[in-house]
Amino acid sequence: MATLRQAAIDKLRAWAARRHGRDSLPIKIHRRRVYILPTRFGIMLALVLLAMLVAGLNYNSNLGLAFAFLLMSVGLVIMHHCNRNMLGLQVDVNTEADAFAGRDANFEFVLRNDSKVDRRDVEIRCSTGAAVRSVLAHSNETVRVAVPVPQRGVVSIAQFELRTRYPFGWFYAWTYVQGSLTAYVAPAPAGTRALPAAAGAGTVASPSQVRGEDDFAGLRAYQPGVSLKHMAWKVLARGAEPAVRSYTMSAAQPEWLDWSLLEGHDTETRLSQLCLWVLESEAAQRIFGLRIPGKEILPARGAAHRFACLRALAEYGLGDA
Amino acid sequence: MNSKSVSYEQLLAIFACLALALIAHVESLPLWVLAAVAVLGAFRVLLAYRERAAPSAPIRLSVAALTVAMVFLQFRTFNGLSAGTALLALMAGLKLFETRTQRDMYITTLCIYFLSLSALLESDSFWLLAYLMVVCWLTTATLLRLTSTVPLPDWQHSLRYSARLFGQALPLALAFWLFFPRLAGPLWQMPSDSGNATSGLSDSMSPGDISDLAQSDDVAFRVHFSGATPPAQERYYRGPVLHDFDGRTWKQGRPAILNAPKLLLQGPAYRYTLSVEAHAHNWIFALDWPARWDLPGGSLNSDNTLIQPGPVSRPMDVAATSYTRATQAQDALNPAARHQDVHPPPANPRAVQLAQTLRNAHPDDLDYVHAVLEMFAQQAFYYTLTPPKLGNDSVDEFLFDTKRGFCGHYASAFTVLMRAANIPARVVTGYQGGTFNPFGNYWIVRQSDAHAWAEVWFAGAGWMRVDPTSAIAPSRVEHGANEAVSADEPLARRWQRQTPWLLETRLRLDALRQLWRERILLFDQDSQQHLLEWLNVPEPDAEKLVIVLTVVLGLVFGWLTWQVRREVDASPKELLLRAYARLCAKLAAVGMPRLPHEGAEDYAQRIASRRPDLAPVVGALLRRYSHLRYAGAAARPTVGQFDAAVRAFRPKSTPPDSRES
Repeated sequence: MATLRQAAIDKLRAWAARRHGRDSLPIKIHRRRVYILPTRFGIMLALVLLAMLVAGLNYNSNLGLAFAFLLMSVGLVIMHHCNRNMLGLQVDVNTEADAFAGRDANFEFVLRNDSKVDRRDVEIRCSTGAAVRSVLAHSNETVRVAVPVPQRGVVSIAQFELRTRYPFGWFYAWTYVQGSLTAYVAPAPAGTRALPAAAGAGTVASPSQVRGEDDFAGLRAYQPGVSLKHMAWKVLARGAEPAVRSYTMSAAQPEWLDWSLLEGHDTETRLSQLCLWVLESEAAQRIFGLRIPGKEILPARGAAHRFACLRALAEYGLGDA
Repeated sequence: MNSKSVSYEQLLAIFACLALALIAHVESLPLWVLAAVAVLGAFRVLLAYRERAAPSAPIRLSVAALTVAMVFLQFRTFNGLSAGTALLALMAGLKLFETRTQRDMYITTLCIYFLSLSALLESDSFWLLAYLMVVCWLTTATLLRLTSTVPLPDWQHSLRYSARLFGQALPLALAFWLFFPRLAGPLWQMPSDSGNATSGLSDSMSPGDISDLAQSDDVAFRVHFSGATPPAQERYYRGPVLHDFDGRTWKQGRPAILNAPKLLLQGPAYRYTLSVEAHAHNWIFALDWPARWDLPGGSLNSDNTLIQPGPVSRPMDVAATSYTRATQAQDALNPAARHQDVHPPPANPRAVQLAQTLRNAHPDDLDYVHAVLEMFAQQAFYYTLTPPKLGNDSVDEFLFDTKRGFCGHYASAFTVLMRAANIPARVVTGYQGGTFNPFGNYWIVRQSDAHAWAEVWFAGAGWMRVDPTSAIAPSRVEHGANEAVSADEPLARRWQRQTPWLLETRLRLDALRQLWRERILLFDQDSQQHLLEWLNVPEPDAEKLVIVLTVVLGLVFGWLTWQVRREVDASPKELLLRAYARLCAKLAAVGMPRLPHEGAEDYAQRIASRRPDLAPVVGALLRRYSHLRYAGAAARPTVGQFDAAVRAFRPKSTPPDSRES
């Protein structure tokens, strides 16, 4: 029974994907893509209503019939309200998320409600993760959906689902959104090796100085793309060539987190150790680079750098397969 | 969501709803059922208050088995409305008792809905319907709070929201109610409950006992005469005829054979509609001598009383035609009937002796009848609704000792005196008189209008009505029971009679009740046919009814969809911006695109200089846009008009007088 049901759901999802094509986010939910069915409780209610109708007819009781018809009509009105709970809702999501194997990938959805009615209990189902949230009138809500990711790699989700049982749970209305979500699942950070020391430790200056933001080191020529914050405006005001103030970083020594440092371990252990090093280096605000077979990430620091490193670790070996 | 556990507040709310629904059953359900449900529910709520779990499975099962067994012992069946309702109420109580998850609560709400319905099935009260709709509304609001997750809607919001749902459901419910085809008869016969027999005339009469019927203001039936109304002294509504007398109690005696004696009807025919209230027996109180009637299975029994096959368990309307004068077609009473109706009274020796004395003085039947009536009028007989109790020789005691009584005493004594003189006579019970309701143009006949009179067999003429009460209290027959009683009437009734506006209000309310009954309670296949005729549907039948139902439901459904979706449609501002974009696109199509930096006013000026032919229309539209865009909320309602104006705008691509340079 359960497998039959799952098969039917899979068919429906595939059909919906073919019918609506790929969606460009953010999307506004149109009524043509909202489906609705009674819940088990709704079917139970329908049976009770049917019994009420038969009883009213059998006793030829106009008051009984009036009552039964009123409840039937309330059921039909609720069907409309359940459907409406989805209509015109705007959905956006960050399509890329990072995660560690064995933990959750968090996708942040933004539900936006421009109408004057509250949208209560809207559930977002994304792979095996789900979250319920109410979006009141003229407001938006950020919903974090945690998708468990047991293994390192890249998890792509082609479709997610929005559903609601509000009000009363007699019906559920749902819609599929074909928006591809990707989670880069880095290896679970683990390992016992200490951080490798920086190259040429002990010397203060080095030819391979890394440009940073901490200490002023003089002026250099302007190049397009440099942050306006670093422009030497006074120099420009004197009528000279545009120049940029240059800085060096305090911990100027970059360290290399190198695959080759971990000889003798298997691939996943090496990756886990590298992942731990990346996190530790980032936490210690060091400048570091990552070197794994087929990929080298130049020394830097910051959130984007960290993400690039973790992504590289997540993707390692996937291209070969 | 289903597996969520339940809280004390939720349990208390659902228990309150169940209790409210059961209040509607207070009269019909055995007290122990109500008490059991109350104890079960209260116990569970208390457990939740103490933050303890539901009782364990063995306890639940044994309580369930015990209560179900008790229902069976009480009713001896699970079929029928009373037993079914009792079972359902107990099920709701048990479900509440064993509630562990939200799902259990959902089932309890379904039970509450069905309990509400079952209270209505054999009811005709507007107030009960209104009350149960309120219960249903509260239950639905409770259900909303049960099924919602964070943030939980507060009570005020839940109540308002369910009221809104019911409001939106009303048109749909009305369409269903009006056009859903009614059945001619029940799908299957349910065992009728004998327990709820209402008060009314019974099939026996003991004048010696105290009767509370005369004090009852309950309505027995209402009569609407389509043509002439018979005069008061001919408005006798015939019920059971009593033949057998044991000295104290009159009984129907022989089984009613379905061969009514043929009558030669005389005088004017009266056409009328009887709106009979439910009572425990099968007779219909038709006027005097019924000739024609519109009643399935209806017939006259050998006493010329109109009867139907089963008891009048539901209120119903009967259209009939009656005469108030008739003579028997046969010359002589058949011997069996004669024997029954001159059957000598077994007791009351003094009455028999009195009859013989009188009979000797008046050998002619008619003279004798007059002599007896004369006796009642001359001697110190009083009409009273609270006569003293009588013993076994009730007629003797009445005639010679107490001399106080109401119609039953006089009819009984008179009939005994006739039989003692070898004249066939019988007691007829029924109703007489009634109160006219000018607000609804009908007569109200109450239980207090119940009456008993005698019929005497005259050779050559047949059964003739003689009402001995009219000899003592003529006003009883002419004006009704209320007028005849003066000295010993209850204070409340006298007070009521002396307050005309109260009486008038009462009559107006009764007229409303009658309207409710005619239009709502007795709405049936015929009413639906009339409705279709009124809608000008050609050749209305059941098939047409289904078509009309479908069409009306479609319309109402469309309205509902529009009504519900309207609220999530684009805001006025969005609509306005969309309309503006459309206007700009139309102008761009004729070679006048709006420049990115241009505001509406600048755009209007540029168009005025380049295309003077478009200027008046476009200028007006753009000014209107500026006004709508910046005037604030006051201008919102006219956005639709602006949108329509933009849609109607069709600019020509070239000016009419094309200037080339």
